[in-house]
Amino acid sequence: MKGRNRRELLGLGLLLLLSWLVVYPLAIVLVEAVGGPGKWTLEAVRRFVGEGNEWRALGASLGLSVASAVGAALVGIPLGVLTTSIAFPGRRIVSTLLGLPAVLPPLVGVLAFLFLYGETGFAAHLVQRLTGLDEAPWRLQGVGAVLLVHVATMYVYFYLFTRAGLSGLDPSLAEAAAALGATRWQTFKRVTLPLLRPALAGAGLLVFMTSLASFSAPYIFGGGFRVMTTQITATKLNGDDRLAMVETAALLIVALIGLLLLRATEGKADATGARKGVGPAPARVVRPMARLGATVLGWVAALVLALPLATLILVSFVPRGTWTMEPLPPVYSLVNYRTMLNEPSRLAPILTSLWMAGVATAGALLLAIAVAVLSRRGRVRSGALLEGLMALPWAVPGTVFAIALATTMSIHAPWVGRFVLVGTIWILPLAYLVRNLPIAGRAVLTGFRQLDPSLEEAGASLGAGRGRILRRITLPLLRPALAAGASLAFVTAFGDFVTSIMLYTYDTRPISIEVLSSLRQADVGQAAAFGVVLMALSAAVFFLAGEGQGTTG
Amino acid sequence: MFAPRRRNRRRRAALAAFALLAGCSGGGGRTPVVIYSPHGPDQLGALEKAFEALHPGIDVRWLDMGSQEVFDRLRSERANPQADIWFGGPTTIFDRGVGDSLLAPYRPAWAGRVGPRGVGPGDLYWPVYRTPAVIAFNAQAVPRDSAPKDWDDVLEPKWRDQVLIRDPMASGTMRAIWGHIIYRGIKATGDTAAGMAWLRKLDGQTRAYVLSPLLLTEKLGRQEGLVTLWDLPDVLIDRQRGLPLDYVFPSSGTVVIDDAIGLVRGAKHPKEAQTFIDWAATDEALLLAARVVFRLPARRDLPPDSIPPWIAEVEQAMKETEVDWALLAREGPGWMAYWDQRVRNTGKKAGAR
Repeated sequence: MKGRNRRELLGLGLLLLLSWLVVYPLAIVLVEAVGGPGKWTLEAVRRFVGEGNEWRALGASLGLSVASAVGAALVGIPLGVLTTSIAFPGRRIVSTLLGLPAVLPPLVGVLAFLFLYGETGFAAHLVQRLTGLDEAPWRLQGVGAVLLVHVATMYVYFYLFTRAGLSGLDPSLAEAAAALGATRWQTFKRVTLPLLRPALAGAGLLVFMTSLASFSAPYIFGGGFRVMTTQITATKLNGDDRLAMVETAALLIVALIGLLLLRATEGKADATGARKGVGPAPARVVRPMARLGATVLGWVAALVLALPLATLILVSFVPRGTWTMEPLPPVYSLVNYRTMLNEPSRLAPILTSLWMAGVATAGALLLAIAVAVLSRRGRVRSGALLEGLMALPWAVPGTVFAIALATTMSIHAPWVGRFVLVGTIWILPLAYLVRNLPIAGRAVLTGFRQLDPSLEEAGASLGAGRGRILRRITLPLLRPALAAGASLAFVTAFGDFVTSIMLYTYDTRPISIEVLSSLRQADVGQAAAFGVVLMALSAAVFFLAGEGQGTTG
Repeated sequence: MFAPRRRNRRRRAALAAFALLAGCSGGGGRTPVVIYSPHGPDQLGALEKAFEALHPGIDVRWLDMGSQEVFDRLRSERANPQADIWFGGPTTIFDRGVGDSLLAPYRPAWAGRVGPRGVGPGDLYWPVYRTPAVIAFNAQAVPRDSAPKDWDDVLEPKWRDQVLIRDPMASGTMRAIWGHIIYRGIKATGDTAAGMAWLRKLDGQTRAYVLSPLLLTEKLGRQEGLVTLWDLPDVLIDRQRGLPLDYVFPSSGTVVIDDAIGLVRGAKHPKEAQTFIDWAATDEALLLAARVVFRLPARRDLPPDSIPPWIAEVEQAMKETEVDWALLAREGPGWMAYWDQRVRNTGKKAGAR
C-alpha cells in the first residue's frame, strides 16, 4: 500500500512537470491573446476576426496541408507498392534512395531543392540552354513551389508506411482472393488497400500536421503566399505582439481541432487482418515488359527525388562568389569544409547543435521512460493523462511552441512557474526536449508493449528490487526501442529550424541558423556545406542506432 | 561479454565529446561584446578586426540581420538582453526602441561632433553614418541613359517584372523608402492612399521580394531582375567586388537615413560596449568604413584631405528630400502592416485589369 501511494505521488509529480512543460506555455499564449490578467481585451481578437487576410492565411495553411497530403499520397503509395511487390534490378538501392528524405531536416530539403530546381539552379540552367531561352524558364516561388517541396519531401511518410504495411500483410489473403478469381487490380483494391488503410491514415495525418506546421518552405519559397506560420513571423516582426499572439492561438486551435478530427476518422478506418505466422509475400516476378517498366519508373523516381541531395553535395564544394552565370560551377574546392573546421565561429554551431540535441534527447527519453514505467508497470491513475500529455506537442506547430515558450519564460515569477530563460543557453534545449517528447514517448511505449512482463516478474520472484529489475531487465530489453526513439529524436532536434530561429542567441546558434545566415550572405557553398554536415550526421546517427540494435537485438 | 565493453567505449567517446564542447565554449579569456546589426558581414568583419587590434582584451561578436529584426530580437530578449550594442538602422526604428525602453543612455566621446539630426532623446542613440537610398540597376543589361532617373520611372512598363525588392518588413532602409513614398503622397493629397496606390503599382512591377541585401545584389548581378531600390553602400561594395552594378540618385530627391548606434539597456558588458561605441565614430573608424564599405560618415568634421574622393562625388550628386521622421516613426508600423496585408501581391492583378 505504501509503495502504491508513493507511485501515485510520483505520477502526480510527473503530471505537474509535464503540464508545466507542455500545457502551461500554450495556456499562456491563449491568455495573452485576450490581453492577459488585469488587462482583458478582445481588441486583437476583433482585429483578427475582421481581417480577411488572416482568414486567407489560415485557409492557405489548411488547403496547403490537405494538398500536400494528397500529393504525397499520390507519389508515396505507388512507389511503396512498386518497391515491395515487383522484383526489378537495383530494387534495394532504389528503396534506400527513396527513403532518404526521412533523415533530411526540412531546411536542408528546401535548400537542396533551391539549388536544383530554383530559378538559377541546375535544372533551370539546363532547360534554358537546351531551349535557347534568354530567361530562366520558371521560378520556384509561391504556392506551387511550396507544394512541390512538401510533396517531394513528405511523400516519404506514405512511402515508408505503405512499405511497412505491405510487408506486414498476410500473403495468403491475396492468394485466397486470386484463387477465388479476382484479378490483380481487384485484389489490390478490395483486399490490400483496405488492409493498408490504418497505415495510410497514419501517414496522411503525419503529412497534414507536418505541413500545417511547415515554416522553412513557405519562408524561403513563399514569396507573397502566406500561411499562418509565416504570417505570425511577419506580424511579430512588425512589433504587433498582441495580434501575433492571437494568430499563434488561432494556429494552435486549428492544429488541435485538425488532430481530433483526423484521429476520429482514423479510429473508424481501423481494419486489421488476421495474421498468422507467415512470412511476407515475396516480390512478384512479372512479365519482362512490366519488369522493364518497373525498373525505369523506380530508377527515375529515385533519381528525381534523390537528385537534390546530390546537388547539395556538389554545391558544397563551390567557393564563395565563383559561380555566377555558368550552368555548372566552374571551381570546386574543400574550402567550405576547411572553413568549418578551422574557424572557431563556424565550428561552434556544429558543436552547439550536437550538445543541445544530445541533452534534449536524453531528457526526453528519461521523461518517457519515467512515464512508461509509472503508467505501464506502476499502473498509476494518472497514466493515461501522462501519456496524452507526452503526445500533445506533436500537434503543436514549432512556431506556436517557440512563441509560447518565449512568452512564458521571459518573466521572473517563480511562484507561478515562470523563469527568465529567454536569452539563456537553456531555452533551446528545453524547446527541443518538449518537441522530442512525442517521439521518445511513442518509441518507449511501443517498446514496453512488446516487453513480456513475465521476465520482470521472474526477476522479482528471484528477489531483485525494483531498481535492479529496471536496470538489469527492463532497460536492456528496451534498448532497440530506445535506440530507435533516441536517434529519431536526436535527428529532429539536430535539424530544427522553426523553434531555433525564434529562440537562438549568439552562444546557441545551431547549424540551421548558420545555414540561413550563409544563405543570407549569398554564400551558397557554405550553406550547402552546413547542410551536408546536417544530413551526414543525421544519417550517421540513424546508422549507429540501427547497428546498435543489430548487435544486441 | 562484448556488448558491455562496447557500451563503455561509446560512453567514453560521448564524455570526450562533451569535454571538447566544454573546452570550446570558453572565449579565450577575452571579454565579449555582442553587436546586433544590419550592416552586413563585410563591414562588421572589417570593424571587428580593426577594433580588436586596438583592444586585444575584447572579443567583438556580431549577429547580422535586418534592422527591423534587430528591434524584434531586442524586444524578445528584453527580460535578459543578450546584445550589448544596437548598431545600425534608421532613427525611426531606434525611436520605437526608445518607446519600448530597449536602450540605455550613453554619451559617446564624439557626441559633440554630430547632430542635431539623428540624435536620440536623452542620449539614447547617436548617428554614425548617413545612408542614402538609390535606384540601382544591372549595368550590363541597362545602359545608363535608359535607366530610371526618378522614383516614378521605375513604374514604367519596360521594368515590369524586372524590379527586385528587399523584403520591406525586415529592412529599415526599405521602411524608410516606403515611408518616403507615402509621406510624399500625404504632402500632395493629404492622405496615404496615393502612396499605397504607387506602392501597389510597384508591386505589379516586382519580380521577387528578396530575403537579404546580399541576395538582392547577387540576383541583380545575375540579371534575375534589372532594377532595385536599395542603399548606396551595399551597391558600391558589390560593384567593387565585381558585380556589374550601377546606380542613380532619384532626381526628385532621395531619403537619407541617419544610421544610428546605441547602448542596449541591461547590456551584460556595458564598459566594453561603451569602448566600442566611442571608437565607432572616431576619425579612424569612420574613414575605414568609408574606404572599405562606402559608408557616408555622419560627422562632417573629418580631415578633408583624408576623405576618400567618392564621398565628394556623392555629396554633389545626391539630392536629399525632406522627410517627417517623427511621423514615420509614429505611423510607419501601421503603414507597413497595411502594405503587407493589402498591397503586397495585389499589383499584378490590379495591373491586369
